[in-house]
Amino acid sequence: MSARLLLQLRLPARPESLKPMRDAVCAAMTRAGAAPALRERLKLAIDEAAANIIRHAYGNCGEGEFVIAMRVVRGSLRFTLRDHAPAVDPARVQPRDLSECRPGGLGINFIDQTMDSWRLRPLRRGGNMLVMRKRIRARPEEENA
Amino acid sequence: MNECKAETHGDLILVRVKGEVDLSWSQAIRKTILEALSKASAVGVELSEVSYIDSSGIAALVEGFQTARGKGQKFALVASSASVKAVLQLARLDRVFPMVDNADAVKG
Repeated sequence: MSARLLLQLRLPARPESLKPMRDAVCAAMTRAGAAPALRERLKLAIDEAAANIIRHAYGNCGEGEFVIAMRVVRGSLRFTLRDHAPAVDPARVQPRDLSECRPGGLGINFIDQTMDSWRLRPLRRGGNMLVMRKRIRARPEEENA
Repeated sequence: MNECKAETHGDLILVRVKGEVDLSWSQAIRKTILEALSKASAVGVELSEVSYIDSSGIAALVEGFQTARGKGQKFALVASSASVKAVLQLARLDRVFPMVDNADAVKG
């Protein structure tokens, strides 16, 4: 499977990292040919994933860092966010019921609604890895249909 | 450039927000909205120049809305930008918030 690396950034796990990360991710998605409306949705989902690392995994302590990587794999974008925070239980990271009107807890919903698939897992060597995928081009069989 | 300021118009306070709302400063917006609600019977949050908003910004708006509702105050989002409307729709909050086109309409 060929994967082309479009972007890799190592950033401090602080809220001030979010804006430069969004700008870099948007520029890379433009180069990858993602449509403008899709770029906006993906930008939000990636921002939410990084904000969750800062706020929940690291507990907003102002220390630590995370690495975001973005690759094109067979017509899909694959986003990987890696941190060195204490292990997060994936079972506790789930979308919530949107019929409840309450502040907070929307980030995972935005990720879940936008991505084709996503998976969060703690790593044996420490930290966590979130992988999110989104198709940006039709499969060859769909293009020929 | 990010900016959040409150303007008093009689018994209405209009909180004007500009820029990209994210975790780095959404708490400042939350504080401004809650302070406005502690001083005025009607609060509008003007969002026409917000080019981006994340869930922490939406949470600040929801908290303002719930605080106002709990105290019987008027609260509305004013002239929300397309970016704000898109995220509200994603959160299924587009029909929850009172949305108006201008500050005069906040008081209904």
